[in-house]
Amino acid sequence: MVKPSSAETPPTSSFHPVFLLQTLLVHLICGVSLGIGLWMAHDVYYISLVSNPSSTLRLIWVIESPIVILLYSYVRKNPNKSSYFKAVVRGLLGLPVGALVNALGAIALGAPVGIQYLSNTVHWSLMMSLFTFVPAASVYGSSWEDWRRIFAHTKPNGFVDYMICLPAHGAVFGAWFGAWPMPLDWERPWQEWPICVSYGAMTGYVIGMVASISFVIIHGRQQHQKGD
Amino acid sequence: MIGLGQRKWVIMVMLTVLHIVGILMFTRGFLLTRTELPYYSNSSDVFHSPCFDHSQSNATCWTRPAVNRLVIIVLDALRFDFVAPSSFFKEAKPWMDRLQVLQKLASTEGTSARIFKAIADPPTTSLQRLKGLTTGGLPTFIDVGNSFGAPAIVEDNFIHQLVSNGKRVVMMGDDTWVQLFPNHFKKSYPYPSFNVKDLHTVDSGCIEHLFPSLYEEDWDVLIAHFLGVDHAGHILGVDSIPMIDKLEQYNAMLEKVIEVIRSQSGPGGIHENTFLLVMGDHGQTINGDHGGGTSEEVETSIFAMSFKQPPSSIPSEFDSSSCEINLDQKGTCISSIHQLDFAVTVSALLGVPFPFGSIGRVSPELYALGAGTWNLEKVNEGNCLNQLKVVEWMQNYCNVLCINSWQVKRYIDVYSASSIIGFSHEDLLHISDLYAKAEENRSCCSEKLLFNSDEICSSSLPYLKRQIDAYSNFLLSIADLARSKWTEFNLEMMGVGFGIMLISLSVYLFTIKRMINSFGVYLSSFGDSDISFRLLFACFMVMIRACSFLSNSFILEEGKVANFLLATTVIYKLRYSIKRGKMLTEAILFLFLITILRFSIEVGLSKQAVNSLFMSAHSSWMLEIAPSHPMWIFMVEIVPILALTILAYLLYITMACSSYRGIWKFIVWGTNLCYILIAVHWMSESNILSSVLMPHVIVRNYIPRIIYAMGLGQLLLLAFSQLIERGGPLASRKGLVIKIVAMLSTCSSTIILLSGKQGSLIAIASIIGGYCIMRLGNIEQDPKDKFSVNLNFDPLSVTQWSFLATCLFFSTGHWCTFDGLRYGAAFIGFDDFVLVRQAILLTIDTFGFSHILPVFGLPFLVSNLVMSGRTDQDRRLASMQLFLMYLMYGLIMATTVIATIICVTIQRRHLMVWGLFAPKFVFDVVGFILTDILICLACLYYFGFRGEVDGADL
Repeated sequence: MVKPSSAETPPTSSFHPVFLLQTLLVHLICGVSLGIGLWMAHDVYYISLVSNPSSTLRLIWVIESPIVILLYSYVRKNPNKSSYFKAVVRGLLGLPVGALVNALGAIALGAPVGIQYLSNTVHWSLMMSLFTFVPAASVYGSSWEDWRRIFAHTKPNGFVDYMICLPAHGAVFGAWFGAWPMPLDWERPWQEWPICVSYGAMTGYVIGMVASISFVIIHGRQQHQKGD
Repeated sequence: MIGLGQRKWVIMVMLTVLHIVGILMFTRGFLLTRTELPYYSNSSDVFHSPCFDHSQSNATCWTRPAVNRLVIIVLDALRFDFVAPSSFFKEAKPWMDRLQVLQKLASTEGTSARIFKAIADPPTTSLQRLKGLTTGGLPTFIDVGNSFGAPAIVEDNFIHQLVSNGKRVVMMGDDTWVQLFPNHFKKSYPYPSFNVKDLHTVDSGCIEHLFPSLYEEDWDVLIAHFLGVDHAGHILGVDSIPMIDKLEQYNAMLEKVIEVIRSQSGPGGIHENTFLLVMGDHGQTINGDHGGGTSEEVETSIFAMSFKQPPSSIPSEFDSSSCEINLDQKGTCISSIHQLDFAVTVSALLGVPFPFGSIGRVSPELYALGAGTWNLEKVNEGNCLNQLKVVEWMQNYCNVLCINSWQVKRYIDVYSASSIIGFSHEDLLHISDLYAKAEENRSCCSEKLLFNSDEICSSSLPYLKRQIDAYSNFLLSIADLARSKWTEFNLEMMGVGFGIMLISLSVYLFTIKRMINSFGVYLSSFGDSDISFRLLFACFMVMIRACSFLSNSFILEEGKVANFLLATTVIYKLRYSIKRGKMLTEAILFLFLITILRFSIEVGLSKQAVNSLFMSAHSSWMLEIAPSHPMWIFMVEIVPILALTILAYLLYITMACSSYRGIWKFIVWGTNLCYILIAVHWMSESNILSSVLMPHVIVRNYIPRIIYAMGLGQLLLLAFSQLIERGGPLASRKGLVIKIVAMLSTCSSTIILLSGKQGSLIAIASIIGGYCIMRLGNIEQDPKDKFSVNLNFDPLSVTQWSFLATCLFFSTGHWCTFDGLRYGAAFIGFDDFVLVRQAILLTIDTFGFSHILPVFGLPFLVSNLVMSGRTDQDRRLASMQLFLMYLMYGLIMATTVIATIICVTIQRRHLMVWGLFAPKFVFDVVGFILTDILICLACLYYFGFRGEVDGADL
């Protein structure tokens, strides 16, 4: 683990080592909470994504949401102007909105629609919202410029930006690729909506986090060398 | 080869010719065709054969019936090693030696029971195999018959012969039989065959009906088709406990069947003269798959048993069996038979005429098993009694072969006379030669026989032997010829065709590259990282779609795949428009449109699922809306007409905005009139409004005909205007737009009419889609900066355009199989069937929204450029860009078709090759050639006769 070299200097640059530690911790906790969610589903409630997709997804987002919202609210932009409480509220608001956007996107791409799929879709989109939308909502709030910078231009600037941008894109790409095996006639239970898409999204999310962490570490090392 | 300075349409025509040649070559090698002949054998036909002994003119049978009743037990996917003793194989496996009752009988009873190795011809699927078994022919890629969809056999077959000769047939088990022979069975107990996970329903049903039936006297032929082994193989593989359980269950069942038959096989019993056949229709691999041509799949088994002792064994020359000593130190002999020979041999045993199209040979070993049932005349010449029996058997067999050869020769002659793609001349000559030789042999042989009747024992044997050899030789060479003609793909032809397609692909790339290079100076935005990313992205999308054809599942859901990819590109565009901060509305509107299209694609797929055997029916929420609600009915009636009104209004607006000239005005007004007529036509067909209107019988046929005539007239006017036009199409600012509108409106009226009520809605959807693609494609264009018009090389727009076209194909309720054709559309306006007319209408319906309109509408993508362009230079640039777009559109289509070609080549022995891949290939190829031709016409129309690639006028 890389330790910040000098924590005393005030965080002026967005590449400041304080943020480096934050990034690492946030990613670690998020990843661990995702793992805990899956573990609890498997060992406590004896369900799995394949056997019981909607309850498992619900478990995951219920466990994940407070952690994500609280953690990302802590690294909010302009901490002096907007309070921690405000950021949490933004995150809470962002959860259903992001879920709606994700669900609409999935339906446009061909996710099945129907009463029997409703709960699956709702829980899946809430989970996706936690991966993509909620961190940005907590951190940037209603700053359209920041949203555009992250999601349209893909020009992250600073640790926090990378922390939001990479896992979110990873989750979306993972879900997109995860949808590929769905039409195949292998007749496996995991080909049902949204099981393989969820697996894809989680894999992409984790890969995004790893990429973000490694980026942060590399960048931190460079900063460190510069500082020396 | 193709360079600058050439006329645009000439390039396109060259490419079209290249494609047509390539595809024709490929098709010649791939789509093996055999014409199904509608002729049937009659029992009186045999009088015409040279073999018929005219002294016994009262005989009505082709052959002397050897058995009265026949029990056929079909065990689906019966591997050869299920039946044959394990001593025939290198090592014993757990699934071997489970049907011990058959092995025991074959080894102890010597000549009255026998195990055969039956060799099937691929494809080894139950339906094709049953067809092959009963017709005695070879199934080919397309059996060009009377019906494409219904599987019922229209050719002459064994079951038909049984029924028409007064035999009563009872069937139980697999419902495929009932599909193949809908009206033939006296009684049938069909059970659904497609639930692979259900191991027992069909088998228990069979057993339940089989044993009572064995005690009945009201049938002559009993068919029981068991599916358990096939299903066990499909879900668990051969090496599994359920498979062994199944085999043991069958063993018990067969034991009981044989017991029942034997108990009544005494003189006077109902099974006195019964013949038992236990057979598989095809084999399976260890994993339980079948369909292909590997030896595991084609090798199955036939166990035949007569309950009478044959008097003598057949001469060893005709016995091709191999014998092994099994574990109990008893010898079992196994003969080999082709499934092709099954129909004719069983017909000969039962004494019914051979199926007309059979090309099999009466198998000596199987035929000999029935010999025990003849009451041979007792001859008192003791010392050659045994030999005499052999001679008599051979005489009889020789006669049967004679009739057999005559029947096959007749079929080949009739086939070559009536089929377009027949046999080659040399092959026919060779066949005739062999047949003449055999016949000549026979005539001299039979004379000899007459003279030498005293020395019959000693001298006739060699003659008969020679005779039988001659016939066998003839029959075997025919089977070989037919096999090479009908079941083997001509890989060289396919390779050449594929090569030509690849060449055309490189021509496309080369031309596009040259054009981009020569116009590089104007491509100010080209090279920008965003553009090259978009090029990569478009290539990636096209490649994904192309690769998706490698799997049958993706072909089945092709509409959804296209929709998925289209939605992905639109999401990318949405992101881009957010980045640029404009045209957000268009992007969201387009995404919304795609979502709607997606649901209509799903409705189409669920319709397909009803027809298709391959897809389990999946419920669609759209169909759950109660269709009986009066509001709903009213909506269904009124919304299409409203949509038509919107279309007419749009046309009106477009024309009002532009300064059009006389002829264009005329054309567009004609279309508006057509729309009114279509609305009247729909109203006259609907239930609510029809009573208000005039007698609709007249309306029903005349309005569509008027619309067709007007459409044709408009097309002629367009062609005429093209002739008198001067100065090029893009000379005036609005010339292009007017031309597009005129062309599309001309085509649209007929297409909307043929598509039915969804037509107008789909037309609006495609207009919205086209508009969005055009707007999003021109996102770079800065309306303020009118002086620098960039040559907008955006492959993504063209890709989107082509994906949208594919989506429209599926959302109009079409899919790529022959039962997906909407035959009803061909009869709008006509009641009687005229092939060419109806085929044209069907083509317009099938490819209207997905090929005709997109190709003619493609210039919309550059219309913005033309509209905003100030100088002549800009307009020429626009013209070049339009040509580039046509090239790219053609390139995308060609890539798709090449992917299909690769896929069918790889999957040519796949289980679903006839149900899925071949129709997909046919649809793709027809659509591709149609697109090519349309692109040629569009180039002629938009660029004029003289439009050159380079533009010497630049």
